[in-house]
Amino acid sequence: MSLQMIINAILLGGLYALMGIGFSLQWGISGIINLSYGAMVVLGSYISLIIFDVFKIDPFISMLFSGFLLFLIGAFAYKFIIQPSIKGGIVFTLIITFALRLIVENLILYIWSADYRTIRISYAGRNFQFLNSFVPLTKFITFLIAGILIYFTHLFMMNTKIGKGIQAVSLDKIGALAVGVDDKKMYLINFAVGTALAGITGSLWATVYSFSPHVIDVIIGRVFIIAILGGLGNIWGAAAGGMLLGFVETCGATFLGAHWQEAIGLAMMVLILLFRPHGLMGKKFFGQ
Amino acid sequence: MNIVWIVVAIIIFTILPNFISGYYIRILTAIFMYAVLSQCINLMSGYMGYLPFGHVMFFGIGAYMTAILMRGNLPFIVAMLLASLSAIVVSIILGFPVLRLRGHYFAIATIGMNGALMTVVQNIDITGGARGTTFPIIMLPPGQVYSYFYYAFLALMIITTFAIYFIVNSRFGFAIRSIKANEDAANSMGINTTNTKVVTWAIAALFTSIAGGLYGYWMSFIAPDEVFDLMFITNSIIMMLIGGAGTILGPVIGAFIVETVSEFAWSGFMEYHLAVLGIITIIIVFFVPGGVIGTITEKIRDRKIAASIKSEVAANDR
Amino acid sequence: MIDNNNVILDVRAISRHFGALKAVDRVSFQVRKGEIIGLIGPNGAGKTTITNLVTGDLKKNAGEVHYKGTDVSSMQPFQIARIGLTRTYQIVKPLQGMTVEENVLVGSLYGRGNRINDLSNARKTVHDVMELVGLYKKKDFMVSDVTLPDLKRMEFARVLAMDPEVVFLDEVMAGLNPSEVEESMELVKKVREDRQLTIVYIEHIMKAVMGISDRIIVLHHGKKICEGSPQEVRDNPAVIEAYLGKKYAKEVMKANE
Repeated sequence: MSLQMIINAILLGGLYALMGIGFSLQWGISGIINLSYGAMVVLGSYISLIIFDVFKIDPFISMLFSGFLLFLIGAFAYKFIIQPSIKGGIVFTLIITFALRLIVENLILYIWSADYRTIRISYAGRNFQFLNSFVPLTKFITFLIAGILIYFTHLFMMNTKIGKGIQAVSLDKIGALAVGVDDKKMYLINFAVGTALAGITGSLWATVYSFSPHVIDVIIGRVFIIAILGGLGNIWGAAAGGMLLGFVETCGATFLGAHWQEAIGLAMMVLILLFRPHGLMGKKFFGQ
Repeated sequence: MNIVWIVVAIIIFTILPNFISGYYIRILTAIFMYAVLSQCINLMSGYMGYLPFGHVMFFGIGAYMTAILMRGNLPFIVAMLLASLSAIVVSIILGFPVLRLRGHYFAIATIGMNGALMTVVQNIDITGGARGTTFPIIMLPPGQVYSYFYYAFLALMIITTFAIYFIVNSRFGFAIRSIKANEDAANSMGINTTNTKVVTWAIAALFTSIAGGLYGYWMSFIAPDEVFDLMFITNSIIMMLIGGAGTILGPVIGAFIVETVSEFAWSGFMEYHLAVLGIITIIIVFFVPGGVIGTITEKIRDRKIAASIKSEVAANDR
Repeated sequence: MIDNNNVILDVRAISRHFGALKAVDRVSFQVRKGEIIGLIGPNGAGKTTITNLVTGDLKKNAGEVHYKGTDVSSMQPFQIARIGLTRTYQIVKPLQGMTVEENVLVGSLYGRGNRINDLSNARKTVHDVMELVGLYKKKDFMVSDVTLPDLKRMEFARVLAMDPEVVFLDEVMAGLNPSEVEESMELVKKVREDRQLTIVYIEHIMKAVMGISDRIIVLHHGKKICEGSPQEVRDNPAVIEAYLGKKYAKEVMKANE
């Protein structure tokens, strides 16, 4: 395993880590398997694209707007579509989030077509040298931002009143209700934070990869694996899951060929589900 | 009464191809196929409470095994039956570990298995890899080919529906429904829940794989990202919900409604197709959560209970 | 009635701990055929956990359970139910989405010996037991539409439909009013006579337990602290202490003298 491979894996893993956290929070704390998550990520990419095309604003800045907009979309979707469907059980929430995905996907197809797009920032192709390896500049910035955001999310969950409320409902709903935490509001905010992270991930993705509606399926497959590997609702677990998947995919692509990387990730997920259903980080966060 | 209507419907669908064009025959064939898939999802999810999101893997197995065996010069029927046998074997081998998982975890594990299986099919030679594979060409005029698959899928839909009807109304059916209702209680009442779940999944895999084999032969060409596409299952779930989960005719009715709506009303607006499907789903979930059949039977039951209470009150008054 | 030479259930030093908490600590007891055994103790004494351990709903950390001479320690709940050792749940577990009758029907279809293959035969048994517990009128109600006492009755009917030999009744009288408790006690006695049942009876209502049991076992903090006739148990200082605390126990003992 060369240094270059390790660098590639870490850079990829950082983006995966950020990508997985929102999904993991939504599933683990709000109890929603959000099948529209992939569409929300890709929507974030397109938001940065349109801002770049019109105002020439760098995606590393417009990601804040993506995050904000997706926060609102997530909050509205949760309040008016997802939350009312919860009483119908898992089949209903799965189908309703899938329906949401179809609507967003259709919107994207309608506005931008199915073609692959890229955002060409002026410094896109630049590298810098680290020992005997190359580090692509945009991927490096993406990695740094992902790390900072993960840390901020952690701070938000641990140190703010709302974050503590969210922790409380996820650990002991009845107890939280008894001390006056508004559980519905906490689930809503947690869900919206998840979609906001999806939007920001989309903007970051757009700086390093091309994107199209086809990417939705790729992303949804990845976030499932990351969330399951890390254990649901666990920020550092999801981060570790993202890193692990980054390494597994990079090694898989090198040693077995790029075709197999998907199967390896999925097989890993199924094995974890069967033998360690609470993820590698192993803390049980919510009842089945 | 019900039986009369069902017989009438079967007779109508049997003679119908003589009066309609190939286009409509094709649409009806697709409806029959979806009714079969939706019926299998209904058995697993509507009756047993286990949502097999990745169940399309058996559709893919059915299609691919049939194709491979037919290239080995087996006649279609033999190839199809052997293919469904292999699907049953796979469902049993995977079923014992994966059916230990409940709720979300089961649904997600099956998605993972389907994805992994699809990647394997994309990367080995015998399946033709990512490019896909072809079936032997049927030496018949196109019109006859259409009606051949029309009748095949019609028969499969009828057989599947009757089979599941008898299963869920049998003693074994009570075991299946008890698992959905409360798996622990079912176990402590003497029901071997593990075996019940695996056998039920194998039954669902059997009919799904037959549908897959027929579908492949009908299309005459299959590719992995097509026959392992989760869209087949999400559509089937939507149909089940619209018709009524846990009712015997729900999936059939749901298949008719969804396919008809998407074919006719929106064939002129292809670019909105997905959004419309999404919006219909949301409307259904909110306004007819029991599905068409579920809502009707609930009304009937409520009326019955109301009548019995009323007669009791009347008897007390006298 | 009680066959003193026939030990039908033999629980040998079973233990279960959750982390550091010893929920059940090396408890042993024997149940003879035809007996009604009362299993009592303050909240958290381990009564329900013992039931769970005997019927296989929970795994034991140590110990053995012998039923009619066979070791059932490693069997699954459904296997144990099929040889006639059954239970009701303290927190009712109705089969949601089914009618009251269908719930009981499932019991008679499976149950002991995995026995009735034929739906119409099974329905006959169901009618009998539903009449017996007084639920027949509500047979077509969905379980979500009946009251908690009715659900308790339904659980009892369901367990009787399984044609068991030994039944653990876990607080079947919780939530009943005094006259319903009387009724329920009569019912338990009656089914014991009619069906030669052996019953392990878990209950908070002292009057019910004392009035019905041949022998009583008292648990405290997961340990068996006393076993004997209702009178013996009532006079046992350790039992009074477990229920009332040390200080009051002394006063009660003094008063008794």
